[in-house]
Amino acid sequence: MTVTEVTAEELPPFVRADGPDKVTGSGRYTADLTLTGMLHAAFRYADVSHARITKLDVSAAREMPGVLAVITDADVPDVHYTPVIADRTLFARDVVRFEGEILAAVAATTPEIARAAAAAIVFEFEPLPVVSDLEAAMADSAPLVHENWDGYEISGDTIRDRNVATFSALTKGDAAAAMASADVVVSSRYVADASHAAPIEPRAIVAQWEGNKVTIWTSTQVPYDARDGVCETLQLPSNQVRIIVPHLGGGFGGKCGFHFEAHIAALAKAAKRPVKLVFSRYEEFMAPDRRREGMIVDITTGVTTDGTIVAREAWLAIDNGAYMADAAFFPQLAAMHVAGPYKIPALQIDANLVYTNHQPSGSVRAPTAPQGCWAVESHTDELAAAVGMTPVDFRRKNLVATGDEGPVGQTYDEIGLLECLELAVTSAGDESALGENEALGVAVGWWPSFAVPAGAYAKMQGDGSVQVITGAQECGTGAVMTLRQIAADELGIEPTSVELVYQDTAAAPQGPGATGSQTLLNHGRAVERAAREIAQQLKELAADRLEAAPADIVLSGGVAAVTGTPAVSIPLSELAAEAAGGDLLLGSASAPVPEYPTLQGSQCVGDQGVASWLAPQFSCHVAKVRIDPDTGVARVLEVHAAHDNGTIINPIGAHGQVEGGILMGIGQALTEGTQYGEDGKQRNAAMLEYKLQTIADAPAITTQFVEIFTPDAGPRGSKGLAEAPNVATAAAVSNAIAKVAGQRVRQLPMTAERVWTAMQSSSDEGGAA
Amino acid sequence: MSLVNLRVNGVTYPVDIEMGRNLSGVLRSEVGLTGTKEGCDDCECGACMVLLDGQPINSCSYLAAQAADREITTVEGLANGDEMHPLQRNILAAGGVQCGFCTPGMLMSADALLDRNPDPSDEEIKIGLSGNLCRCTGYARIIQAVRATAVELNVSP
Repeated sequence: MTVTEVTAEELPPFVRADGPDKVTGSGRYTADLTLTGMLHAAFRYADVSHARITKLDVSAAREMPGVLAVITDADVPDVHYTPVIADRTLFARDVVRFEGEILAAVAATTPEIARAAAAAIVFEFEPLPVVSDLEAAMADSAPLVHENWDGYEISGDTIRDRNVATFSALTKGDAAAAMASADVVVSSRYVADASHAAPIEPRAIVAQWEGNKVTIWTSTQVPYDARDGVCETLQLPSNQVRIIVPHLGGGFGGKCGFHFEAHIAALAKAAKRPVKLVFSRYEEFMAPDRRREGMIVDITTGVTTDGTIVAREAWLAIDNGAYMADAAFFPQLAAMHVAGPYKIPALQIDANLVYTNHQPSGSVRAPTAPQGCWAVESHTDELAAAVGMTPVDFRRKNLVATGDEGPVGQTYDEIGLLECLELAVTSAGDESALGENEALGVAVGWWPSFAVPAGAYAKMQGDGSVQVITGAQECGTGAVMTLRQIAADELGIEPTSVELVYQDTAAAPQGPGATGSQTLLNHGRAVERAAREIAQQLKELAADRLEAAPADIVLSGGVAAVTGTPAVSIPLSELAAEAAGGDLLLGSASAPVPEYPTLQGSQCVGDQGVASWLAPQFSCHVAKVRIDPDTGVARVLEVHAAHDNGTIINPIGAHGQVEGGILMGIGQALTEGTQYGEDGKQRNAAMLEYKLQTIADAPAITTQFVEIFTPDAGPRGSKGLAEAPNVATAAAVSNAIAKVAGQRVRQLPMTAERVWTAMQSSSDEGGAA
Repeated sequence: MSLVNLRVNGVTYPVDIEMGRNLSGVLRSEVGLTGTKEGCDDCECGACMVLLDGQPINSCSYLAAQAADREITTVEGLANGDEMHPLQRNILAAGGVQCGFCTPGMLMSADALLDRNPDPSDEEIKIGLSGNLCRCTGYARIIQAVRATAVELNVSP
């Protein structure tokens, strides 16, 4: 284990291969593309949250000059899709279930004509009761979001009941009996509002048919998922659909999954012209099925008087919205976060994913984790107070360490959670140095690594230059850029000698793309192996020439040499030129999935495969917060972060992920919450009303990495790092706010109004916390 | 439709446009420079920031016709031929670029800031860039890049 801390100025330079494109304006994002004959698309949305369609007449729109195609449910194959529960069609059929449901799509010669034609579509409906409140939705008498809920095809161990789309439970021991034996029992309710990924680039799609093949340029994080979605819904073989992703302007999960690629492909086919869709900011908030889910957490924990946790029980309700995007596993994952990285001998968590007439929820950066962590870590500070311990001491006593058994019976190999706690707390300094209305809040978080198959090709060309062809997708993190470094290190050359070919399903082997912090973990393992194949070929060629065994050849600095005698060497370009006349230097590899850890003594009902964690990632964030008592406005002045994310390969990228994740976490903590009207529609789907953090809000951030070589993980013992930094910040801010306010703010985001209200009730009660 | 002369990065483009068109749209389509990005069409994100006679404006909410016969600078006009502007070089070196979608607007605001204040404090940098949202970074590396550029330009103006 090593600990690394470097300031921003000291980081080694890592100039991204896509960097010059991005700073000069020469790089093309999807909305920048124009094709000859290209039309513009507009969708007609339901704009009502729950209704039965009584009339949908597109004839007037079809007659408008400049309109080349208008398509509806009648114009596409009869397919119900989405993972786990096939509850949805591309276009609305009979019933609309959220405001962003698509009734029809228009292709016209200008965006203005397309929008006018969409508005000219006649839509009449009979309103149905809007399901909005999670607990009301679970009542037996509640109106159903899907009348035919038990008629949909499902996959996996999926437990469902009426408006409960999926249910999962984690059970270890007899939690009720253990709770009865506890000296102190604390119960809390925490409620998180929904929020958004809000990438700065609104999504865009361009589709063009040539013969029976369609090429789709799209701002997706997951090219293969997008392709598979098009194939499934339009019933096309995968070799007739090519997905190309130009530069991608951020995703944060919001551009994961399959979204509107099939709508635009179908529209382009009907219009017999290329078609382009560019979302407005309002559409980016309202229409995609990738909202961060609202959540209710009821949590009860029993402890002994010396502060040892003996039992935890919790009940969760998570807002799925109207359709299954990818949230089927959210109950189990949220339950893991509400369990937390603690030694808990007896546990019972029941978690429900609930259909409502809201926009569908889907994986936004570390789904379920910021809210679950915020709830459990706020609750943990309440536990510490109840037994008279400091928050740090309580965590020292109960957190999992190397060799410990976690809350669902997984035993951990070497982990650095306690080290993260000590480092972050030490970095934040002494509480006695704080100013008036300031406090430090501590929180820990964890996050799994998701191992799935991925492939890569590599080739060294006759001039010694290298191409790596990968299914990885660069969404900004720089993780794909790290793949250059991995290949270069295997071959003993500079990263700048490696060119990446990526973001094209016609070129690269299958892979998950930019989802679940998987680029380094999965694509990285494949690239490392593919490059290693070429390295082995080079060593064999060099061994012949240097009269040594291949095992004794070292590749470094662009040359091959025998171990111990670096003076005698052959340039790799010479070997590459030789190979160009014979056995070409080609590598291809896939990355088999490591075995997941076994769980002992626990049960997972409604198992969605996210209770056993490969290469778990740990973090501790300490936030220094100041509150203006007159207004309730909280400002985060500093965040001190320490992370166990395995070996760090690209330091500047790693720091960038932690800093960006923390800033997003502060947004979730303080300002980012979607408000719904009684009509089920979003009331703040715009950037002035849904406030992201600005540069003026940015705190000072220190980051330390506890580097532990992690076996069965990514290349060189690495783990992912895109989501882990987004887990603990809101919780740390919450614990600081509670100290200043003298009262808990039990709803996320902890807006100025909510903080001020809590402070008023605190002073009413004489400041009792 | 009206014929308007737009002078962008030192080149004059005659464009035939409707008078209600916004500048960002005309720059991106008729002029053909797509480095200027559109993130919100509402002056909220700053991705469309360009310079008009040296002043930063949100080009999404500015009429193209109002910019006629004035000096417009976009991100494509920052570099000196193949040589990057120090802001471009420094923001890359500092790790201030991730997805890059906010970067053109951020660079234009930073360029305008250094033009009117060659030696800004961190606080002044924050004020100068407060109209530009970035969702990827923690902003610190962008501040660092602006600071480094100020030092560099003040040493060798």
